[in-house]
Formats: sequence, structure tokens, C-alpha cells
Amino acid sequence: MKKFLMILMLAGLAVATIGAAGVKEQGGDQSLQKVLDKGVFVLGLDDSFPPMGYRNEDNEIVGFDIDLAKEVTKRMGVTLKLQPIDWNAKEQELNTGNIDCIWNGFTMTEERKQVINFTDPYVNNAQVAVVKAGSPVKTLADLAGKKVGIQAGSSASDAVYGNEAFAKSLKEIVEVKDNLTALMDLEIGGVDAVVLDLFVANDNIKRSGKDFKILAESLSAEEYGIGFRKNDQALRDEVQKQLLAMAADGTLAKISTDWFGGDITVVGK
Amino acid sequence: MAVITVDHVRKSFSSLEVLKDISFALETGEVLSIIGPSGSGKSTLLRCITNLEQVDSGTISIGGDTLVHTDDQGITQYADKHTVARIRLRVGLVFQNFNLFPHFSVMRNITEAQMHVLKTPKDEAQDIASDLLRKMGLPEKADAYPFQLSGGQQQRVSIARALALKPQVLCFDEPTSALDPELTGEILAVIKELATEHMTMMVVTHEMAFARDISNRVIFMDDGLIVEEGTPEAVFSNTKNERTKRFLSRF
Amino acid sequence: MGKLLMLMLEGTFTSLRIFFLTLLFSLPLGLVVAKGRMSRHRIISSLVNGYIMIMRGTPLILQLIFVYFAPYYIFGSSTDRFTAVIIAYAINYAAYFAEIYRGGIQSIPQGQLEAASVLGFTKVHTFTHVIMPQVVKRIMPAMGNEVITLVKDTALAQTIGVAELFRVAQNAAAREFSTMPIFIAGIFYFVMNAIVSKSFDLIERKLDYYR
Repeated sequence: MKKFLMILMLAGLAVATIGAAGVKEQGGDQSLQKVLDKGVFVLGLDDSFPPMGYRNEDNEIVGFDIDLAKEVTKRMGVTLKLQPIDWNAKEQELNTGNIDCIWNGFTMTEERKQVINFTDPYVNNAQVAVVKAGSPVKTLADLAGKKVGIQAGSSASDAVYGNEAFAKSLKEIVEVKDNLTALMDLEIGGVDAVVLDLFVANDNIKRSGKDFKILAESLSAEEYGIGFRKNDQALRDEVQKQLLAMAADGTLAKISTDWFGGDITVVGK
Repeated sequence: MAVITVDHVRKSFSSLEVLKDISFALETGEVLSIIGPSGSGKSTLLRCITNLEQVDSGTISIGGDTLVHTDDQGITQYADKHTVARIRLRVGLVFQNFNLFPHFSVMRNITEAQMHVLKTPKDEAQDIASDLLRKMGLPEKADAYPFQLSGGQQQRVSIARALALKPQVLCFDEPTSALDPELTGEILAVIKELATEHMTMMVVTHEMAFARDISNRVIFMDDGLIVEEGTPEAVFSNTKNERTKRFLSRF
Repeated sequence: MGKLLMLMLEGTFTSLRIFFLTLLFSLPLGLVVAKGRMSRHRIISSLVNGYIMIMRGTPLILQLIFVYFAPYYIFGSSTDRFTAVIIAYAINYAAYFAEIYRGGIQSIPQGQLEAASVLGFTKVHTFTHVIMPQVVKRIMPAMGNEVITLVKDTALAQTIGVAELFRVAQNAAAREFSTMPIFIAGIFYFVMNAIVSKSFDLIERKLDYYR
């Protein structure tokens, strides 16, 4: 029995290290060339993250990020493949090579920067708290002793846990699979507030018509970037180059206006 | 005195009439054998007397109390639950397939009903069981489980189990049919011994020699009817009935 | 590492609470459901049959979401999320257990019931002393399977925000950018199920005194 457990543990370790080693062993940076050779650029996303990436009525994945990625890949001359992933397992997906990048309202945190190769930020974001319209909660301090819902593994979760004083003041932090579940939980009174991305919050309130409001005070200001494997410098640079070109010729501003009614991008600014 | 009387009993399974107007009486101390071809209704008759099946009409009395009665208006009514529970304990039944409880030891198989139904104290119930096991020639099997016993031994335990409730009548439903031929002898010996003790018994059997040997009286049933009834000599040796002759000629 | 293990033990405790509370409620409830399924009343048996079909025919994760969210939209009030998990698991597992019980009960030879009846046993005594002890022995292998599945199904509780072992492991994995916590969780589940299998082996061996 003990022996068996040992073997299992070793097998686990082996799988974990091989996953990491596989990336390192490649000589030189072939990342861009590999994508060009394949002709396919695999974008990993949580497909329930409107308006950045989500499924429309026809079950097609659409969104602001998707439109950006489409334009970038068109200019690179490769096909865009959208790969829905479990947001909570995004690092494993990236490290094991199942996807080429994470491009999905991906907040650049200090911790993530340690292990992920980000582009320059392309959009500014904030983590905000959403409450029911009739709620007495006006500020983040009012949430002391209350329950707050977040999407597990999201940057909202980083923002909440990262703000230790705030996290400690809460009665309970409830982590669910996606923002939609968190907002449903808010509606039925399972939690008193949900912390999530400003864009997502705006979009959700607009589209669902639910009686929610966003607190004026935000938890943290953030930037969205596109995340690549640490070693994939060439691929990251290529995407960055295309984004700069799109900013210069106005394409970026146009896509942003389509989605948000104005240019919210910060590329090259 | 009649311990069981059966009067104009009828029983059908959906459209098939299995018992067509059966009447007879079982006297105290008597050993009655019921013979007849398969499907003649003899097992169903036993099952009606032991209340495993309900009759459609007719009257059955056991030990002076009425189990079921059809009145002049033709309305058939069973006695109330408590009376039925009381009456049915007067009749024990030994099954073809023993039906011992496999998860109980031999001892518990014999004591369970005494303790649960008769409320006999445990010590007393075990004494009774030990006596019966000795009588059945199985004194050393008290702690064994049924699967450890031969078919003949299991059937002897099931006889002890029935006797433990001190029934007025013991019924046997083809008690040797599930046994290998070499094991039937031990069961027949037990029944024979009970007969010498004047235990009142009703035996449904295919063992003609045995029926002839131990019975005071024999009933021959065919097609849901009692065709012939009489002493073993009258039925086995001197029958005038063509159907009885035809049936007996097969043995 | 020590802190991670503490967190994971906490998650394990939640998983175990779900596990034991589910068994506590679903084991007896399953018996009631099995009885209803075998009822001679047409209406009762078909209602219960419908319930079993729904429970076995839809994903547990969906039932979980339904039990937690639906009461608000129907009655305007909601249950505590942990309670919702226990309710959803209990009614789901009761349906599976009921079918196992039913199979076990129906496999008891009719002759034994007749013997009990001729010996004057009450219906209750026959059920508790003749049928059930034998049913328990017969259903042990199938029950072992279900109970092991339950250990693994506890991981679904995170869907509605209950932080059980797997959620804790996934969070740690995301925080530390390492697959290790997930593998450690795997070992935890494996150990729990090893204990479950061993227990069932023991019970089966204990019931092996008769055939």
C-alpha cells in the first residue's frame, strides 16, 4: 500500500516535471516559426467571459478579444483556433502546449508576470464590487462581515486575496466556477457582493437587465495583457508588433468602438 | 374429532380453476397422504390450509375455529387478522425446498419463531430446539449454518423448526422431491417416527410406497377434484376408479 | 508546503462532511424510495419511478445547481449552499441506492417469505430479520461501487461555491502555477477510497459466514 502510494506520487512528479522540461529543451526560439508552420494559432479562453470572449446565440465564440485576435492572426497569415479551457487550469493548458496563448481579459498581476510572458498592456481594467441595487452597501468597507463571491482562479480572486485587510474583513469568500454563477448567487442572496472585472460587470448588467449596481470604489486598477509561455519570446513579439500596427492604422480604435462605444485601448499610447 | 375441515373450497388463478369444490376432514392423530399428478391442485390445497393462498369460496376450519367461511348468500369472508394469526400457528408446513433462513444458524432457525411469535424465553426455546435436534439425529449441528448441511439434514432442521411451534397438524409439501434419492430415506424415517407418536400429519407426496406404508388414509386428486378417498389398501390395491388405476400404473 | 497541506486538510474535512452527511441521509431515504418503487399502488410506484429516472437521467452537477438556485426563483428564498449540496447529493444517491436495494430485496427467494409467514412472523419482523440482513450481504459489492463514486463526486460541490478538497487544490495550483497540489489531491482521494474499499472488504468478509 505504502509502496503503491510512493509510486503514484513519483509518477505525479514525473508528469509535472516532464511538462515543464518539454518546453525548455527546445534549442533556440522556434515559437513563432512553429505557429507559422502549423498555420494555426491556438488561443485559450474561458468562453463565458463577456464581452471579451463568450458564446453568442449561435454558439459561436465572439468578443472584443476575439475580434482583436482575428485581426492579428489575419495579418500573421495563420488561422485562429479558439480553444475553450477551464479558467482554473489555464496555466497547465499553456505549459503543456495545448494552447499558444491566453487572451481573454487576462489581467497582468505580479505573480503571473513571474511565470508568463505578457505583451504590453492593451486595455486598462479595474476589479469592482457589484451589489444588488437596493443594497445598503456603498463602499468596500461596508462589505465587512458580509459574503463576497468571486470566480475561482480569476484576477478578481487575486485582487480580493491580495488585499489582505479587505479579505480579512469579509465573513466568507465564496468561489464558484464562473462569474455567471457568482452573479446568480448574488441575485438569490447567497452572497452580498460579487467582485469581478469592470468590463464584465458592465456588460452583465447591461445585457441581463438585472438590478445590480457597481460600487464607485474599485479594488484595484489593472491592465489586460496577452499571456505566452515564458520562452515564446518570438511569438509574443510578433503579436505585439501586429497590435502596434493595428493601433497605428486605426483598426484597434475601430474594434474598440464597436464593442465599447469608444477607444479604450492603450496600445502605443 | 376433526382438527381440519375443508368444505366446498374453490380456488382459481386468473382463468385456471385449480381447486374445484374440495371437501374433506382431517381427524386428530391421523396421517393423511394426498397423491395425484402434477397440477392436480394438491399443493395449492396445502397452501390454502396454511393461508399462503386465499380461497375464492368455501369454508376451512382449523382446531374448531373458522379460518374462512362462505355463508348462504355466497359471501366469502376470512376471520380477522388476529384470529388468522392465531389459527395458522396450529398448522406447520414443511416445504419441498426447506426454505431455511441461510443467515441464521440451525439453532436460531428453530428458536426465532418461538421467541418472536410465542414469546418463549431464550433458554426454554433453546432447550426445545436441542431436544428436537436430538430427535432429528442432528444434535451436533446446532451451530452450523444451512449451507454446511446436506439436503436431508436441512429438511430435518426445517421439520424441527415447524415442530418447535407445537402445531396441531404438520403438513408436508413433497418433502423429498428436492432431495437426491439416497437422502429421501432419512426424511421418510423421521415422518414415520412422528406417525408412531400420533402426530397429525398431511403429506403431499410422490412416494407411493411411503404413502401406502404410513398413511391411515389416502386422497387421490386429479384436475382439482378429489377423485378417490379411502384406506391405503382401498386406494392402492382395490381401486375401482379408472383414473386412479391409470395414475398408479405409472409407478 | 506545510500551509498548503493544512489548507488541503481543511478541504478534505469539507469533502468528508459532504460524504458522511450524504450517506447518513441517502441510505435510509433509499430504502423508502425502494419501498415506494415496489409499491402495489400504481400512482406511488410510477411517481417514484419518475423520480428515479430524473435523478439517474440528469447530471448531478445540474441537480446541484437546480437545488441551490431554483428555490429562489420558485419560492423567493434560498438555502444555505452547504445544505443545498447535502440535499442534492442525498436525493441523487438515494435514487441509486434505491435501485440497488430493490434488486437485493427482489433477489430474496419467495420461499423464505412463505416460510416466515407460515412461522407467524410479522411483516416488520420478516423485513428486519429475514430480508434485510440477506439484502445487505447481497448488495455490498454494488454499494461499494456507489460509495467510491460518492467520494469522487464530492468534488462537484465547488460548482456552487463549497470549497472542498479539489477546489482548494485547484486554487493552490493557480496560485503557485504548479500541478503539484492537484496531484496531492489525487493522492488524498485515492487514500480515502482505499479506506472505503478496505472497509467494504472487511464487511464482506464479516458477512461471509453463510452463503
